[in-house]
Amino acid sequence: MIRISPVARIGLGLIGGFVLVVLYGPLFIAVFFSFFEFQNNAVQWDSFSFDAYVSLFHDESILEAVGNTLFVGAAAVVLSVILGTALAFYYNGSRSRFRELLQLVIFLPFLMPPIITGLSLLIFFREIDVPRSLWTVIIGHTVFVLALVYRIVLTRLQTLRTSLVEASLDLGASHWQTFRYVLLPGLMPAIGSAAILAFALSFDETLITLLVTGTDSTLPMRLWAMMRMGFAPDINALVAVILVGSTLLALFAIRFVKIPMQPN
Amino acid sequence: MSLRSGVIPIGAGEQERPGPLRIIITVVAYALPAVFILLPLGLFLLQSFYYVDHGAEVRELTIRNYVRFFSDAAFVPVFLRTCVVCLAVAGISVVFAYPIAYLLASLQGRRKYVLALVFVIPLMMSYIIKIYAIRAILGGNGFLNRILLFLGIVDAPLNFLIFNLQAVTLTLAILLLPFAILPIFIALERVPRTILDASADLGASSWQTFCRVIWPLSLQGTIVAATFTFVLALGDFVTPQMVGGTSGMTFGRIIYSQFGFAFNWPFGAALSVILLVLVLAALLLTSLFGRARHQL
Repeated sequence: MIRISPVARIGLGLIGGFVLVVLYGPLFIAVFFSFFEFQNNAVQWDSFSFDAYVSLFHDESILEAVGNTLFVGAAAVVLSVILGTALAFYYNGSRSRFRELLQLVIFLPFLMPPIITGLSLLIFFREIDVPRSLWTVIIGHTVFVLALVYRIVLTRLQTLRTSLVEASLDLGASHWQTFRYVLLPGLMPAIGSAAILAFALSFDETLITLLVTGTDSTLPMRLWAMMRMGFAPDINALVAVILVGSTLLALFAIRFVKIPMQPN
Repeated sequence: MSLRSGVIPIGAGEQERPGPLRIIITVVAYALPAVFILLPLGLFLLQSFYYVDHGAEVRELTIRNYVRFFSDAAFVPVFLRTCVVCLAVAGISVVFAYPIAYLLASLQGRRKYVLALVFVIPLMMSYIIKIYAIRAILGGNGFLNRILLFLGIVDAPLNFLIFNLQAVTLTLAILLLPFAILPIFIALERVPRTILDASADLGASSWQTFCRVIWPLSLQGTIVAATFTFVLALGDFVTPQMVGGTSGMTFGRIIYSQFGFAFNWPFGAALSVILLVLVLAALLLTSLFGRARHQL
């Protein structure tokens, strides 16, 4: 643990407080104005209402975008968990010289700027004559979050004790039974964490989506379109809803996800 | 049947004959990443060597897109300006992230992780919503101008707060700052306690311990943080579009426009390759630096 003097602590605390105000301030102000109106250079305190929320929940295009986002997220999570787990098993069990290369390829979409991943897929879909749709978005998101799922599952797989697997096989269980009843229960926490993180990433993914999306829009696309047209009052209400939603998701993730930190 | 230690023999080639599951996993493991990651990247590289003539794509290999980038006076200045903006973003992020990471590392027990969480949660919040919220503050009709007017500090709304490169820099720095905290925090957490104790025992003040021990040991994490934010800022085209206005043109926006209004995919692909080269150079420099320090 690093020791600091009380004076230094106050200084650092002031910087931290300033940054917190900058990080959270804009969001709280937006939430504030989802309840109150601002006219004649003053807050109209008697204008408190939930009107913005009511109209938000009557906005068909937003509801549809939310539905699309959830669908894309769920599909990307399922695909990336299956594929990521299979890849982790392959890497863990393989002696092939190519496995390091394979791992690098899996990490590429996560390491490269999203604009490169998005453009590559955009050109790829055009070359194979696949029209842009929610399915191309799902593929884009799966490719993007795959590295994360793979890494989390692999890390867990490498710490599982091999003796249990040997015992299971010795006792006559088939490979499938060993996988289903011995390995999978041990992997579930990792798969759960990976799924939550993958969903959170997919939910907010904007740059790749913007390039590979068709006419159906996800929530970030819908917001992007709304904001280009100007400031709709409903957006403030949406800020509040998403703020609460993503904070809950974050807390949920923290509850289950063990971020590997190495304290001394 | 021999088992290597540390390897779980499910789906692995431990049997005499590879089982069906094993074959399926191997095929899937190589085929899917090859088709959905490598092939698109290959097509993307190839695209950058095509060209567009009178609105039609000509599929002959040529380097004219790259020549155009370097010879046309419009592009290199934007490229350089974007680099400066992204370096500034990395600089601002690290300057604020370091003290915060330091504060976090000096805390004990639960408080440390709860406060770390408070700084990292904004990463989980909608990216586009954050841009919107920042824009709502900086805008001509925005919150900041209204406060300044209300307090009588200015007579007319300031219009230099948004729709320029400074606004892009500021917004990107706010968005990416939490990313910079994590690598520095982890680096500080890894500074061995024994070394700190030794430094204190030998009579070093906490300032001396910082300069001589902690800073050198956390330098690598700090550089990783800077690279992180630099690369993320470089690839962004939504933020500049939202807060940059006409004078806040960045390289990412030019690339995006080639796939939209300008409709010159080969040229857009070539510009992206140039962006990718810069990103790879940044990542390579960072890893070389890490390796060099490792050998000291």
